Amino acid sequence: MTGIALAISGLEVRGQGGRRILSAPHLEVPAGAAVAVRGPSGAGKSTLLYAMAGIIAPAQGRIVWGDTDIAGRDDRGRAAFRRESVGFIFQEHLLFEELSALGNAAITALYAPRRDRRRIRDNAEGLLTRLGLGESATRRSDTFSGGERQRIAVVRALAGDAPVILADEPTASLDRPNADALADDLMRLARDDGRTLIAVSHDPALHDRADHVIDVVDGRVETPEVQHA
Amino acid sequence: MPDAVAGLLSGLPLWMEDTLLLLVALLPVLVIGALVLRGFAVGPLLSALLRRQAWVSVVFTALIAVSIGLGVGLIAQERGLREGTARAADKFELVVAAPGSEITAMLAAVYLQPSAIPLIDGPTYAQIAAHPNAELVAPLAFGDSYDNAPVVGSTPAFVEYLSEGLAKGRVFATETEAIAGARTPLGVGDSFAPQHGRGDAAEGAHGDFEYQVVGRMPMTGSPWDQAYIVPAESVWSVHGLANGHGPDWDGSVGAPFDPEYFPGTPAALVKADTLGGAYVMQAQFNTDRTMALFPGTVLSRLHALMGDIRQVMSILAVVTQVLVTVGVLAGLMMLTRLLSRRLALLRALGAPRRFNFALTWSYAVTLIVAGAGLGLALGVLLTRIISGVITARTDILVTASLGWSELHLVGAFVSLTALLALIPAWLTMTRPVVRDLRG
Repeated sequence: MTGIALAISGLEVRGQGGRRILSAPHLEVPAGAAVAVRGPSGAGKSTLLYAMAGIIAPAQGRIVWGDTDIAGRDDRGRAAFRRESVGFIFQEHLLFEELSALGNAAITALYAPRRDRRRIRDNAEGLLTRLGLGESATRRSDTFSGGERQRIAVVRALAGDAPVILADEPTASLDRPNADALADDLMRLARDDGRTLIAVSHDPALHDRADHVIDVVDGRVETPEVQHA
Repeated sequence: MPDAVAGLLSGLPLWMEDTLLLLVALLPVLVIGALVLRGFAVGPLLSALLRRQAWVSVVFTALIAVSIGLGVGLIAQERGLREGTARAADKFELVVAAPGSEITAMLAAVYLQPSAIPLIDGPTYAQIAAHPNAELVAPLAFGDSYDNAPVVGSTPAFVEYLSEGLAKGRVFATETEAIAGARTPLGVGDSFAPQHGRGDAAEGAHGDFEYQVVGRMPMTGSPWDQAYIVPAESVWSVHGLANGHGPDWDGSVGAPFDPEYFPGTPAALVKADTLGGAYVMQAQFNTDRTMALFPGTVLSRLHALMGDIRQVMSILAVVTQVLVTVGVLAGLMMLTRLLSRRLALLRALGAPRRFNFALTWSYAVTLIVAGAGLGLALGVLLTRIISGVITARTDILVTASLGWSELHLVGAFVSLTALLALIPAWLTMTRPVVRDLRG
């Protein structure tokens, strides 16, 4: 699998009443790069991530993933792009407690084309095993610890073979050892498969492991700083 | 319905027509289901949702079940009562009574309801009995009871006709012998002393006079099951009337009766040789001195009147069910707000809007279908209980059971409410994903 590159230009996101809440004049992320997005609370980091995922429709600008400008797509088109190309990890793991670890990890199979369902499930099983949760994959997800639940959420994002992983504060709800372990797992799994990873985070541990760091300050996306060759 | 379809349906066996109608009633929900769920596997999430909202699901399902159970139970009961009353009147082809109320005459003769009706005299009775189309004519003699059950006087031939062969023993042959109805406590060999009057109006025994039970009727499903049938002669005798026979009577009970010594009967029960014969007799005995009625016709007039009530009841039942379901759906709308974060999560993960629509709709329809199924079961239970009560109180055997019309009604209800369930499902598609995601 190969990650896909992102090119953003002239992006503006407006909130209620037409107030501008984010602008990104120019931003490029190479395919397969691991990027951290940092900035103070309320600066617009999550908004940027949601716009990249197509969850928020921008007021203007282009968000081009590979050859696809998702800013020009309608809600249905952006959801289809997300379905095919994006794995999303949230700050809170947001699992369905009544489902098993595997049920959550393979949840995207429920609305994926029939031909892909087996593959998503097999991937989820394999990834849970790689993250040490294979033995308890059939246990209800609310019986796992916070760190384990977030790992299930990571598997959910990766199981569909999405070339792009977007993570919103993935380590924020974890203690230090768990946060470090998750940051390692996330980077390793993304790099192993050559996926493009963009993670919004306050966590310096994640910033240190990223190839690039993007700063968002007062709703404006600054030019990325390269950390690793 | 277009004539072509009606024609097509009428050519089919009844069960197939009913099955087809049920499928037609369920067609909307099947079509909507196929369209909404196409390409999705909502099962695991649906089951998770049901488990998460277990109590809410149980309460909503129970509400639907109770409303359907009551509606279906009432309609089945009404039909059971109609069938029960018709079955009870089955053997009473033609009743000739003195002019008056047909319904009162029918209630007295067929359903043994105490009523004061004028008598027809000996010569008139003899005329009926001698009619060339009359195969069986029997008088009735009321006035006594035993243990609150009516003791009815008639003839051995009538007992044989009504019972189609006794369950036990033989038909009475003398004035002191009696036949016990299938639901009376007395058996062959038991004796009982008749009381004058019935119920609160019972005025005591007729001296030492006793009957001995010599036979038991099989179940007829009519109030006659709760009665004792005795020779008409003995009822007349113990009341100090002529016994229907002349001085040289040999003591064998039953027809023929001597008009001179016939004390009168509230009704002559007639079985004609043919259906045509019955109509001939009905026409001939509708005079200024007698009234001839077909209990079946009187009943069907009553049932026609009840039919209007039934239609109103059916509409009320459906309206009640729909109202309950609208309440449940309104509850579901609130529930979808509670579930909004989970639904937003699915959208953020890339699920199509139609997936959330399908999930919400299938959740609502699961409650509706489960409620409908439980409602049918509850309806069966209710009809059994009410049938038992009605049978005990009226002595008319009511065996109500769910029929096709109830299944059609429930099928239509499921389809209609599945259509209504599209509304909360649609509302989930309009919710703001980002705001819901942030809780």
